[in-house]
Amino acid sequence: MLEGINRIGMHEWEVPVGYVAGMRVPGRFFLSESLARTLEPGAVQQLANVATLPGILKNSLAMPDIHWGYGFPIGGVAAFSVDEGIISPGGVGFDINCGVRLLSTPLLHKDVAGRRDLIDELFRTVPTGVGAKSAMKVSPRVLEDMMVKGAQWAVRTGYGVERDLMRCEEGGFMKSADIRAVSAKAKLRGFPQGGTLGSGNHFLEIQVVREIFDPVAAKAFGLALGQVCCMIHCGSRGLGHQVCTDHLKILESATKKYHITIPDRQLACAPITSSEGRTYFGAMAAAANYAWANRQMITHATRQVLSKMFRIEYDQMPLIYDVAHNVAKMEEHDLEGKHMNVCVHRKGATRAFGPGSQDLPPDLSSIGQPVIIPGSMGTSSFVLHGTQFAMDRTFGSTCHGAGRIMSRTQAKKHLSGREITANLLKEGIIVRAHSENAIADEAPDVYKPSDEVVNVVHEVGISRLVARLSPLGVIKG
Amino acid sequence: MSFEEISHTADVKIRVHAPTLEVLFSETFSALMEVMYGKNRAGGVFKEIRIESSDNESLLADFLSEVLFVSEVESLVFSDVIIRIDGLSLTAKLSGEPFDPVRHSGGSEVKGISYSGLAITHGAKGYMLDIIFDV
Repeated sequence: MLEGINRIGMHEWEVPVGYVAGMRVPGRFFLSESLARTLEPGAVQQLANVATLPGILKNSLAMPDIHWGYGFPIGGVAAFSVDEGIISPGGVGFDINCGVRLLSTPLLHKDVAGRRDLIDELFRTVPTGVGAKSAMKVSPRVLEDMMVKGAQWAVRTGYGVERDLMRCEEGGFMKSADIRAVSAKAKLRGFPQGGTLGSGNHFLEIQVVREIFDPVAAKAFGLALGQVCCMIHCGSRGLGHQVCTDHLKILESATKKYHITIPDRQLACAPITSSEGRTYFGAMAAAANYAWANRQMITHATRQVLSKMFRIEYDQMPLIYDVAHNVAKMEEHDLEGKHMNVCVHRKGATRAFGPGSQDLPPDLSSIGQPVIIPGSMGTSSFVLHGTQFAMDRTFGSTCHGAGRIMSRTQAKKHLSGREITANLLKEGIIVRAHSENAIADEAPDVYKPSDEVVNVVHEVGISRLVARLSPLGVIKG
Repeated sequence: MSFEEISHTADVKIRVHAPTLEVLFSETFSALMEVMYGKNRAGGVFKEIRIESSDNESLLADFLSEVLFVSEVESLVFSDVIIRIDGLSLTAKLSGEPFDPVRHSGGSEVKGISYSGLAITHGAKGYMLDIIFDV
């Protein structure tokens, strides 16, 4: 373990005030001893940097998928007082509302095992990779609706069913979207990309439920052993990237204007109550809504393919849940006996609200929020549920994925895309991508083992395991 | 080639050495295009970008962000650039070609240009910088 960090629990570590100059609160992160060996000094430095920001409450936090990013570490969570705190694009990232959703089907493993035609058809239907464009023509009016109403726009346009919205964080759209804060450039990037997956770590995966840990929660979520599901991982595409780029610039000036000292330019920020802060939040929410519309459109395309190929009805494929893992939200939390409005930044972290939380659909209120954790390509993904302990300790947050441990340069030296595809095929996993590089970049070995990461959050209690799914087919972005 | 990829866990980190600021910028531009679209890029379509910023680092980040924007909305893949810097004003003449899915799909989409750790230094051996592209 790195010098200057204190172990304060089985899986809990503290970065004390003073680790970097100007820290206002300690840093805390959750990591098992074996995962701690992969911890990078740069990630801890970033966690400590966040603790210097004005109005930060309780702790600068990181989940067990912590790794070195820019601004916040990936896996970072921080809540700020609405009155005295700041908002920062560095705590959200370029891919605003990058997130993941899980769709269930009535199909069983035997129905889809070895069905290359299914993976090929999904690959043809969902635009993926660098430069991919949608076949859909989006008018300025439609783009505005996507940014204002998100998944609700998609459902009401025919890309889903009303129940889908009950299974999205925020009901599928943030009500604070302000399209006036979205630049003409961001909109231009948004027109051709509705319903596209993107590239990098984005994917669409056909999976099977291999293990149930919590039968009551699994049943409530609609998951059964042997059931085939589909996981979709993508975000707000170029529109979101441009919103971040534009507002970083504005907030950099605001940082100086409001005399805020920051240790990293990527942490440019403004008071939440300032016009610059409010404008960024409105633009970010609009981009988040675009991402929800995007995932809903991909869901629709996926349901159509499955419906046609397996003669199943559209409404036999309910959405289990949709979570955002790059976003800032205004939420209510209890802190030292006080009920407070706070701005929670989650950068590569997932909301994990516990039982009784107001944002949950009534039928899941006694269980807690479904939490979807994608594994790396070829490894298991997990469904968990949120807990009261997460509400008490992490502002209702948990990990978002496996977390990288190997750079892309290292990955390409070790493994070729062709070898990885062949190895995965031996395990019964069919992979399609536009380039071998994309496969090599995201090979299973470049990530922390996903089971170790979720075991930490389960054992700490900031979310609890419900089910494990493994991939049968992968479309790489 | 005078740029190299430095190991970075999540994103792409590029280190560039160059004798002048103009070459430093053009090498970083080439790195960006290579990360996104691979090495097989040709010229023939021309674009001009003009940027003004508050310091050299912002000038570079703003220039590269504009390249990302133009490349995406106009579906262009650039191969060459001629850059002129006058104080904190930049003029770039870019040469490229339309995106070809067959030749240009081998890279990683860059989501944004990060300011984290971005510092341009100038010493006896010329200019140097590290820059992180979010992929």
